[in-house]
Amino acid sequence: MESIGIIVAFWALAVTTVGAALGVLVSRNLLHAIFFLITSFLGMAGLFITLSADFIAAAQVLIYAGAISVLLVFAMMLTPLASRDNANSLYLAPGALAGLGLAAIVGFVAVDTPWAELAGSTLAERSFPDTVRTIGAQLIGRYVLAFELASVLLLFALIGAVVLVHDRAAERGAAAAAEEAGTGPREEAT
Amino acid sequence: MTTSSEPYVLNIGPQHPSTHGVFRLRVAMDGETIVDMDMIVGYLHRSMEKLAEERTYTQNIPFTDRADYLAAMSGNLGLCLAVERLAGVEVPERADYLRVIFAELQRIASHAMANGTLVSDAGAWQTPLLYMFREREKILDLFEMTCGARLTTNYMRIGGVAFEPPPEFWPALRELVDELPDRIDEYAELLTDNEIFLARTRGVGVISAEDAINGSLTGPALRGSGVPWDLRKAEPYAVYDRLDFEIPVGRRGDVYDRFMVRLEETKQSTRLIRQAMAEIPEGPHKTQIPLALRPEPGEVYGRVESPRGELGYYLVSDGSPAPYRFHIRAPSLINLSLLRALAIGSPLPDAVVTLGSIDIVVGEIDR
Amino acid sequence: MTTAPASPPRRPEAPPALATPMARQIREAPTLRGMLTRAPAPVKVAGALAGLLFFAANAAIGYLVIDGRLDGHWYDFRDLGVAVGELRVWLDDRGLGPWLSYWVTALIGAVGILSFVGGVLLIGTWIERRLLAKFQIRRGPNRVGPFGLLQPLADAIKLVQKEVLIPRGADRILFYLPPVLVFIPAMLAWGPVPWAPTMSYLDINVGLVYVIAISSLSVLAIFIAGWSSNNHYALLGAMRTVAMMISYEIPVSISLLSVALFTGSLKLSAIVGWQSDHTMWLGLIMPFALFTFFFSSTAEINRTPNDIAEAESEIVAGFHTEYSGMKAGLFLAVELGNALLIGALAATFFLGGYTFFGLEQWIPPYLILAVKISAVYFLFVWLRGTLPRFRLDQLMGYAWKFLIPLSIAFMGVSAVEASILARVDLPGLLLIVLVVNAALTVVFVRLWARVVGYEAPRDEVTMPALTTSVGGLRAAQRLRGGAS
Repeated sequence: MESIGIIVAFWALAVTTVGAALGVLVSRNLLHAIFFLITSFLGMAGLFITLSADFIAAAQVLIYAGAISVLLVFAMMLTPLASRDNANSLYLAPGALAGLGLAAIVGFVAVDTPWAELAGSTLAERSFPDTVRTIGAQLIGRYVLAFELASVLLLFALIGAVVLVHDRAAERGAAAAAEEAGTGPREEAT
Repeated sequence: MTTSSEPYVLNIGPQHPSTHGVFRLRVAMDGETIVDMDMIVGYLHRSMEKLAEERTYTQNIPFTDRADYLAAMSGNLGLCLAVERLAGVEVPERADYLRVIFAELQRIASHAMANGTLVSDAGAWQTPLLYMFREREKILDLFEMTCGARLTTNYMRIGGVAFEPPPEFWPALRELVDELPDRIDEYAELLTDNEIFLARTRGVGVISAEDAINGSLTGPALRGSGVPWDLRKAEPYAVYDRLDFEIPVGRRGDVYDRFMVRLEETKQSTRLIRQAMAEIPEGPHKTQIPLALRPEPGEVYGRVESPRGELGYYLVSDGSPAPYRFHIRAPSLINLSLLRALAIGSPLPDAVVTLGSIDIVVGEIDR
Repeated sequence: MTTAPASPPRRPEAPPALATPMARQIREAPTLRGMLTRAPAPVKVAGALAGLLFFAANAAIGYLVIDGRLDGHWYDFRDLGVAVGELRVWLDDRGLGPWLSYWVTALIGAVGILSFVGGVLLIGTWIERRLLAKFQIRRGPNRVGPFGLLQPLADAIKLVQKEVLIPRGADRILFYLPPVLVFIPAMLAWGPVPWAPTMSYLDINVGLVYVIAISSLSVLAIFIAGWSSNNHYALLGAMRTVAMMISYEIPVSISLLSVALFTGSLKLSAIVGWQSDHTMWLGLIMPFALFTFFFSSTAEINRTPNDIAEAESEIVAGFHTEYSGMKAGLFLAVELGNALLIGALAATFFLGGYTFFGLEQWIPPYLILAVKISAVYFLFVWLRGTLPRFRLDQLMGYAWKFLIPLSIAFMGVSAVEASILARVDLPGLLLIVLVVNAALTVVFVRLWARVVGYEAPRDEVTMPALTTSVGGLRAAQRLRGGAS
């Protein structure tokens, strides 16, 4: 963190991210909470950029702000009681407990790490010409098991989603009706 | 586990983006599909039938223009035929041929509009509509040349037609009739193999022949379902029995068949016009009738094949110059009664396309 | 006179007297070609001389270019990046720290892009309407200013002075946001596009992923627009649009992945460089990827044949129902800007970007890119004028069942080919790859279409039967029974 630009950027982004996260906590409208969350995602992407992790920043925007937020929004749409007050939650006490515990762990790690050793010559001199290539090499080389397991997990999730929504009764009913009527309803247009 | 939603009511209000007129649909929808439908008409009611009871028969002819405003000539023709039958008026032969020419020109114009708006409803941003409007514009120019108006022509009279077409009418008509078959082939070529159009119209809005006859369907909708019924052949009026034409009959009764039936009818109309142009004799264009025609007391039902179906006029006369009862059997209203059964269970875009294929004009629904 | 003429002429000659008023109007309408051919002689001579002078000037400059006298100097008009680079070096030499040079050059670039996109939006509205009108055999705007050129200005003024309507019960802040939020990705995505060898505003190492990420942000803006309108139908339209857009992001990403596999880089200038080094366009090598990218982009930017969002207007008016005035104007402008953006991206990824087999040394490369963008945009408008639109379930089925499996298959094929190309060093290998890919495209597409069920049975496309006898139900059954 040598130049003033990075410092300004860091503080601006940090304030945005943390402020938006607090907004998620505080806002009473569920949709507003979701939009604050999206803002904090974008702030995170900015923080990644200040660390020169360009691919991770772009992936953060693509996956979190682009896709997961849409998922959250759809989930909210389909929830019957989504219009209720966000502050109305049974999970206030357990949530506060979990949050404090997490803050304690993260705080301990942050204080205990010897930052001065890790920063300085080693980090500043390392240049980042091609993060994508490095990440790709690591994924296929050293972390290939985790990569494959994650892919299989995603595949399960996809299949599970299709299975959950598949309406067997309706399909049986439609097939029976088709047989009866002879010509039947028009074939599925897809 | 399925996600269920309760039906919500969508109001497709009196103002339609697609050009069907002031017509209101209330649909109850469950997700994508329609579960119930209400058709509310009457936004264009002008009490024509009551007003007609105060006017003479000739003064009632402009009402028929405005009932089915896209087929004014057919409307005029229907009323004139009914009154002529009631009053026993003879029509000269030249007038009959002129009537056929103008009725068939009107059919081409109306079918161009109907097919064009159907394809626009399927989403083609008015391009095919504008292409079909080329010919319609020329036909409307011909109308304007002859009787001074493009849409509400008021051209037929009891006992003939109002005016003799001017000398420049015939070369223009000849030019139009010469280029029409190629143009129609062009439209057919553009659309009949278009994958998207086929996907939107084939198998959609299927009306079986039994349902069509039970629902009193007439016109291209009936013929699209396979029933070969056309008033021009079944009860020929004017000189249709002397002219040589065929009626197209569809196969499956879906939107695509109705579209193709209308396209084919345009070709047949061209054929009719050409024959009529060739065979038309000289002579007067109408017989003189008294200013206030007093037909014998009685009733008559006169019908013509308008582009939408059987357009009928039921007249009751009590011997006075004005009719005692004047009723228009509007094909659009009768055809429309089938829409509810067709729409329930299909997604909304399909219902819109089906409505477009039934081809309604709200003017004659509401009168 | 025979009842039917023997063969009506395909295009009848001009009749001696123009019969109808409309025919007269068509014949006498002013057109550019008509004006040019009917101009008086001195004007034509002057025009010819000006043209000759123009060509001479171009030849002179071309000679300078071949001679190499321009390369690398700030007045090399072919590559404005050189001038900006020299400015940056000069500012650095002043000793005010790297900040001044960075900010000044960044501002120049940003202003350049914004003014370019803004200007192009203005003229783009005019082009779209006139071009669409040409497809629909009508004239388009021709009253406001010469040839209707001031029409976009008139539209802008009209929209700005309209009343700002906020529906009752709408979320105020969330209602104001979407026009802005949808404009931001449309601007940001122009960053990485390379206009010349050193003329690219944001030539980052992950340009490709950046582009995909930024375009996925506009989905959110549309959703916010639909939600905050407090209108059931707007919300419905917005949800459908969001579903369609996220479905079509996947084929876009996969087809761009094939591009990255071949070129081995995510940097847009490296992609263009690959295409110029191998003198082959990626669109020729990977036709299916090009088609997928193009078609999925029409879904991403809500244009026909995938404009189910805005042109649910048969029924529901879509997510921008409640927006009036300049807010709606921004939505429409962004739709246009996005079309041009996709043109730029398609040109960069698949059509060789600013290169044209060596022509970019003679004429400024950004002109070549502009021509390519215009070509792709023309294709967009052509599609809009011609095709009807798909139904939503047909659209989604097409994406998930057809495009995605095929894209994945082609990505696998591209990966194999890319690794072969990296290891083997045959001179004509790229051409072999091209031929193989073309054949595979045809085979896979037909095969998969049959598997999914898209083969339209041709025998069912029937013309109506013609008959002269009338009848009722029994006649109908006889007809059907006899025919089938």
